[in-house]
This record gives sequence, structure tokens and C-alpha cells, in this order.
Amino acid sequence: MEKLLSYAMDIGEQMLISGAEVRRVEEGIKRMCCSFGANRTDVFIITSSMVVTVFLPDGSFVTQTRRVVSTGTDQEKLHRLNHLLRQICEGKIEKENIGEELKKALSRKNYPFWLECVAYSVIAGAFTLFFGGNVAEMSVSLFAGLVVRFAILLCEKTVPSKMFSKFISCAVATFISYLAVKLNIIADADKVIIGNIMSLIPGIGLTNALRDLFSGDSIAGLLRAVEVLLTALAIAAGYFLITILGGFLI
Amino acid sequence: MTKFEIIQIIAGTVGTLGFTVLFNIRSKRLVFTVLGGFLSWTLFVVFSKFMESESLNYFLVAFIMTAYAEIVAMIIKSPTTIFITTTLVPLIPGSSLYYTMANAFAENRAGFVEKGIHTLSLAAALALGIIIATAITKITKDFIRNRKEQ
Repeated sequence: MEKLLSYAMDIGEQMLISGAEVRRVEEGIKRMCCSFGANRTDVFIITSSMVVTVFLPDGSFVTQTRRVVSTGTDQEKLHRLNHLLRQICEGKIEKENIGEELKKALSRKNYPFWLECVAYSVIAGAFTLFFGGNVAEMSVSLFAGLVVRFAILLCEKTVPSKMFSKFISCAVATFISYLAVKLNIIADADKVIIGNIMSLIPGIGLTNALRDLFSGDSIAGLLRAVEVLLTALAIAAGYFLITILGGFLI
Repeated sequence: MTKFEIIQIIAGTVGTLGFTVLFNIRSKRLVFTVLGGFLSWTLFVVFSKFMESESLNYFLVAFIMTAYAEIVAMIIKSPTTIFITTTLVPLIPGSSLYYTMANAFAENRAGFVEKGIHTLSLAAALALGIIIATAITKITKDFIRNRKEQ
């Protein structure tokens, strides 16, 4: 049972990391433990920690906890884990094979790095146009988006903190737009900065915070909301930094 | 529809496509997400012909698109949250958020308050739309499940 619970928690942890809401993970673990033959399962999950106790029919019980770090967003992984969870609950997977299936579900690759660069660039460019920018502003935005992705890569390699990487990304984007204004490529930095901010805004975090808050998981929801607020402040700080420096340099 | 609105719809759709890469959305789900991004801004533009209030428009579009995301997620058996966010990407009030920030920096109190309230009202409308649609789907799902068990 300990092994099975550990698998269930692995699945739950990975789902949480990929961007699932707390309620879904709690229910998933409960259902999995039920299908393993537990009498009663108590699950408590917040965004950074998981506690599960399983009561077995013979009177014994097992407790495990997990510390969950870093939340990203990976729909493909989440979809696969969700599918795996369903199959386990319906008894379609033998208990011995769960570990293997889990490994298979996690081994899926992400989009390649160059495509992510293109995506950042395209998002920035598209939203510059969207908010009323002209073609010159869009071109600067496309370039800035590309540089932002490399800035994020640099942060991941050196200081793996989400807050810090948002701070740096926004600072880089602001710097490039001011530079473009200085070089007379564009007249106004606003639209370029807006386009680049769009890919930094923690949209998933906000949606998850709302869904958690209003489905009864107030603590998890509040934690996420605070995280979103801090991220927004980090973005603003990046902009402020360059604007202050800009007064002296540019 | 003006030329600018058509540009906005295209740009919004392309932007949504970009976000599908960031969130690693693939195959069938990618198609539905991009379609959602297209629909959300198209709906906004169409509604804005009949409605004065921008917040009400945001609320309605958020409500409809969340319902869309919930239904799609049910059909292809996939978690909902990421769909909701990516289909609503064009509605993120990025522009007014930026001007709030810029006004705060320039110590332009009046501008900060005006833009800040604008951003907040849009965000609140968006949130309300998502919450109400989610609640309705949840209640409906529970109701159907209860009926089945009886």
C-alpha cells in the first residue's frame, strides 16, 4: 500500500506542478486510493504541500507528505496524467504497471526551445498590433520577445526563481523599447512594452486562484492569489527600474 | 467591422496560438484553444456594437467562453483551467494595466486612479464571468451525477 500511495502522490504532485487546481488533485487522489481498497482517505493539499492519510480495512494506516515546489504550466502532461488517473480508477491498469505507465506519461517532450522563442516573439508582436501599434512597433516587439525568452533561459540557468525571471524579463523588454525610441525606430515605447507584458502576466495563476477560492479551498486560493500579486509587482518593478535608470542613461 | 477590429481579431488569434506553445497544448486541444481565442475577441467586437459598457461586455464574453471551455473539456476529457485562460487571452486588460503602472510611476494621481479603476473593473468582470460559468457547470455536473446514482 505504501508503494501505491507513493505513486498516487507522485501523480498528484505532477498534476499540481503542471497547473491543475487543488480540488481536482484532491479528488483524484481520493478516488485512486479508493480503487486501491482504502476504507477512508484524508487529503489535504495546498499549492506548496500535500498530506495524505489512508486508512486500510485491516485497521492500519499510512501517511505520506510531499513538499511541492515550482508550478509551471504544461497542458500535455496534465492531460496525460488525468487520463492515467481515470484508467487507474476504472481498474484498467494493473497495480504492478502503474510505475511504468507514470514514467511513460511524464516522458513526453515539450515543444523545442526554438519554437518557444518564436512563440514569445509572436505573442509580443501580435499583442502590439492588437493594442494599436504600427508595423515598426511590431517589429521591435518581435525582436524584444525573442530576447526576453533568452533572458528567461539565463535566469533559469542562474537564479531559478519565477519572480526574479519575470522581473528581469520585464526590465529587458522595457530597455529594448526605450533603446528603439532612442534610435528613432519608433516614436512611442508604450505599445512594445504592453505586447511583451502580455506573455509575462500570470493568467493561469489567476484563473486557478479564482477557481480554488470559489470551490472551497480558500487557503490554496489565497496562496495563489498572493503569488499572482507578487508576480505582478515583480513585473512592475522591472519596468520601474529601467524607467528610473532611463532618466540618467537614455 | 472596421479594419482595426479585423486586425485585432487576427492578432488576438495569433497571440493565442503563441500561448498554446508556452503551455504545451497539442493536437485536438490546440485547435479548440485557438478557435476559442478567435471566438472570444470576435464576440467582444460583435457585442460592443450593441453595448455601451465595456465591463458588461467582458463579463458576457468571459461567461460564454468559460462555458465553451468547460464543454470542450468535457467532450475531450481534459482538465479545464488551461483552456479557460488561453481562450480568454485576448481579453487580458494588458493595455490599461500598463497605463496604470506608467501613471503610478509618473506620479500622475488622477491618471493612476482612473486607469487603476478601469483595470480593476475589467478584471473583476472577467473573474465574475469565469466564476459564475464554473459554478453553473459544477452544479449541473453534480445534479447529473446524483440523478445517475439514484
